[in-house]
Amino acid sequence: MANDHLYTYGVIEQTDVELDIDGVDRAERLYTVDYRTLSAVVSDIDTLEPDETDENIRAHDEVLQTVMERGDVSAVVPMRFGMVFKSVRPLKNVLRSSRSVLSKTLRDIDGTIELGLKLVAEEDVTLDREAIREDVSDRLDGVSLEESENGLFSDRLVLNCSYLVSRDDREDFDAAIAEIESTYGDSLIVQYTGPWAPYNFVDIEIGVDR
Amino acid sequence: MTFVLDDLLIKPWVSLVKVLRSTAIEEAYDVEAIHDEIKENQLLYEIGERPREEYEQRRADLELELEVAEKARENLSGRVEVKR
Repeated sequence: MANDHLYTYGVIEQTDVELDIDGVDRAERLYTVDYRTLSAVVSDIDTLEPDETDENIRAHDEVLQTVMERGDVSAVVPMRFGMVFKSVRPLKNVLRSSRSVLSKTLRDIDGTIELGLKLVAEEDVTLDREAIREDVSDRLDGVSLEESENGLFSDRLVLNCSYLVSRDDREDFDAAIAEIESTYGDSLIVQYTGPWAPYNFVDIEIGVDR
Repeated sequence: MTFVLDDLLIKPWVSLVKVLRSTAIEEAYDVEAIHDEIKENQLLYEIGERPREEYEQRRADLELELEVAEKARENLSGRVEVKR
């Protein structure tokens, strides 16, 4: 089957990007499709519904991380996993119809990254969970721009948050996390992840006519 | 009179059976709870508390459970409301 559809990872300000990493469904060539001031980062794919496997989800995230790390890209509006267009034309139609909101969002998140923090209680420990959440929130408030609470999907989870952080504040944020680990390391497991594209701070509804 | 007495005696049981059946359906087809278990399984694997083999087996079991629950809810659409 011909790889004539386009898997879309995210949107950046118009920049020519070619990447040598594996994309979703092991795509070998990642490139950009431009519409005026915007570029969509894409790879070719032969299905409109790629499998949501660990490998594919990881590939989606890794492409976005690699794009974010480039010196000539200061912001990425991430697409959720599975955004495939039949061809270039419908993709450009979406870029055209959403250009205003995409451009505004790119300005809003310019120079920022998303970092994730989960605090997991060690087994059979009693904790004042509310006090820990307040303390951690206070410590990270000064080194982040925004906080987004994610679901506490396990009884072991004490905190599950994402933070929008200026790239300039990354070292300070890292230091604050190290302090949190040093304070609570005996009773909590700290899972610190990122940088991610700011999934939790971008809320764009794109009407897709694929 | 006999009819009224019978009705009064049986009705609470009928109602209890209904509640139990409804609770069982809610628990069996609670898609959100299964999603939470999938995420918890991933988390425990990532922090090193669940070995890879156990994680993969649990994930396969949960994905199957999810598929069954989603199909069942689709078939019972409009007849089952899951409250959390």
